[in-house]
Amino acid sequence: MMPATAIRSLFRTALAATVALALAGCASGRNGTGQDEVYDPLEVPNRFVFAMNDAADILVIRPAAEIYAGTVPDPVRNAVQNILETLLAPLVIGNSLLQGDGQNASDATGRFMTNAILGLGGVFDVASTAGIPAYRTEDFGQTLGVWGVGEGPYLVLPLIGRSNARDAVGYGVDTVADPFRIATSAANANGVLYSRSAAAAIDTRSRLLREVDDMRRSSVDFYAAARSLYHQQRNASISNSTSAGTPEFPEFPEDAKPNISPLR
Amino acid sequence: MLTRRHLLTGAALLAFSGWASLNPAFAQSADPGAGAFIQKLGTEAINSFANKGQPKPAALAKFRQLLSEGFDVPYIGRWVLGRYWNQASPQQQQEYQKLFEQLIVKTYADRFVEYSGETFKITGTRPEGESDTMVTTQIIRPAGPPVAVDWRVRKRDASYKIIDVVVEGVSMGVTQRQEFASVIQSNGGKIDGLIQALRQKTAQQPG
Repeated sequence: MMPATAIRSLFRTALAATVALALAGCASGRNGTGQDEVYDPLEVPNRFVFAMNDAADILVIRPAAEIYAGTVPDPVRNAVQNILETLLAPLVIGNSLLQGDGQNASDATGRFMTNAILGLGGVFDVASTAGIPAYRTEDFGQTLGVWGVGEGPYLVLPLIGRSNARDAVGYGVDTVADPFRIATSAANANGVLYSRSAAAAIDTRSRLLREVDDMRRSSVDFYAAARSLYHQQRNASISNSTSAGTPEFPEFPEDAKPNISPLR
Repeated sequence: MLTRRHLLTGAALLAFSGWASLNPAFAQSADPGAGAFIQKLGTEAINSFANKGQPKPAALAKFRQLLSEGFDVPYIGRWVLGRYWNQASPQQQQEYQKLFEQLIVKTYADRFVEYSGETFKITGTRPEGESDTMVTTQIIRPAGPPVAVDWRVRKRDASYKIIDVVVEGVSMGVTQRQEFASVIQSNGGKIDGLIQALRQKTAQQPG
């Protein structure tokens, strides 16, 4: 009896996940977004905020990240990243459970407990040494996506950056539910909370120096490229797959032999 | 009983298909030649990257050679332009294709010269779309976690060409298509707006 029940419940979960994904697909399709476009009815204000954020990045955040990456030794940077990850782990555990992803929740719990206790709050990555598997970061925006909520209009928020209606709600819920925030505000230590946000921003930015520079240099419309990347990255994170939603690549028979030779 | 048997069969099929798609040897229509093609192209690229002694013009020429050998640039350019291709005049199409190739060279040639010890390993192949093969690889970096990069390979006649690159779930083709569409739209739907922007981009300090 047990195996059949287990299979049935597995099957149900799989079915529910499939339906949720299909709904998410419908929901984003309803916004009139074809494969070619991200739904962005607020493009004018979004572009304005994007330009402000970009200026802040060029003037402050990128230089700070560059100094950080250039002066702080790798082991220290890795410890900082590990502490930040440890602080966020409770949210990952909660969201994994809400998404029905027990495996990820258990991996995150294992790493969190090991690094928080044996690794002195994440200073040492004992979990990796012990071979506890890495987990995927999950947030409430992704949870909503798994539940079938469409992304809604694309948004660029001041300082927080690229988002959309669904992910902005997710961000709000994660912020409110964050145990670290609750603990620090209870202790009247908002400074600690802000320091964490600043450290997280600099840490993340310092790992993307080359990538963002490349994108800035190569794009003809940096805003549109960043929007497309965000849309695709979020879809990949929601489906936990780097191979979902591949578009069609038809042959173009009418010019199978184009008289264009761009290499000359 | 019937329902349970159906469920069991369904579960078994699901498990089987899951296993089959993870096992490259089992994916019948995944072309093994595509994996060999990526292996060869990647090895050649890394050998060339690692040769720091060669002067910049030679490295650039090598990059162009690998690009035309490995990628169907005219196809990618046309796909990226999407529905606007048919609205462009033959002259516009020709200039666009020339500028598109220059943009790619300009964007990636520097990375090619500044190579810093990345290696790659093929993690699998699977059939994609009607006739393509997706070759999944991991780029192993000297610092930081590995990056998942998938290469969409199409076979025409006897030769293989890459038609899209997917980095951690982000398709380079889709990104450029959405970007170019945005430029055209903000220029009142005119392809000349995009061509002008590409001219400016490729004219800036030669890569």
